[in-house]
Amino acid sequence: MKSNPINRSLGIFPKSWSEQEAGRIPGNIPIWVGILSELTEFGIFFVAYFIAKFYYPEVFTEGPQSLHTSLGVTNTIILLTSSYFMAKAMANIRLNNKPKCERYLWLAFFCGCLYLIIKTWEFYWNDLQGLGPSTSEFFTVYYYMTFNHFLHVGWASCAILWVIFRLRSGAYSAEENSGLEALAVYWHMIDLMWILIFPLLYVLR
Amino acid sequence: MKNIGKLEYYLLALIAITLFNTFLGEQFASTALVSVLIALTVTYKGFIVIDHFMELKGANKNLRFLMRLYFVIFPSLIIVSAFY
Repeated sequence: MKSNPINRSLGIFPKSWSEQEAGRIPGNIPIWVGILSELTEFGIFFVAYFIAKFYYPEVFTEGPQSLHTSLGVTNTIILLTSSYFMAKAMANIRLNNKPKCERYLWLAFFCGCLYLIIKTWEFYWNDLQGLGPSTSEFFTVYYYMTFNHFLHVGWASCAILWVIFRLRSGAYSAEENSGLEALAVYWHMIDLMWILIFPLLYVLR
Repeated sequence: MKNIGKLEYYLLALIAITLFNTFLGEQFASTALVSVLIALTVTYKGFIVIDHFMELKGANKNLRFLMRLYFVIFPSLIIVSAFY
């Protein structure tokens, strides 16, 4: 493997920044720029949550008790399962088993859709209880985080459809599957964000 | 993939931890101990996904470090917030 051209041309990065030294980058570099940007965005949300909780502790104690916890748990299990399906899709493309890879991608897509339906139902249920973004500081943070996450699941689900189309047109194989892997790591990032959001909004009192 | 047989085990572990966390939140008053337990399990869940689903274990060490650091910093804030 050739050394990173950036390292060779500028010579300002430590050796560990070269792929050869630091190890393989799953997917591709652009998707990691995207992932790290998303992590920063969600990181700001999390910091906002902790600041708001510091100033309004009672509101953040009462808030989770008003939520439909079982819907939150269901969505957590759905997203974890979708990550598993995505990992299985990657495992199968590496074995050049394209039909099985596609099947797992459809399962991950189905999980994404299920998540969106349940989340929509949860927003509707909240509305029926008279809960909205301006109900309290907790719900402002809740809607900010969950709706943002909802959008991420939405467009990543659309990306799964695109990857299935590419897979069917022969773009991926055991040797070349960086596009599929880029989607897989992005999907796992979305799952990771929910792993943090779930306890903050539904569990901690 | 090396650990293909372990994926199912990890999925079950992640689901079990999620249910355990929910049980803690629902059944016990929010104490510092509950917050610490939840924070630790969140870190563990994050590490499983990062290492075995994202496959960063054995991949780029800088990316793995950054991802794992994220799942140390924010769960640590959960613990800090328990002492507000």
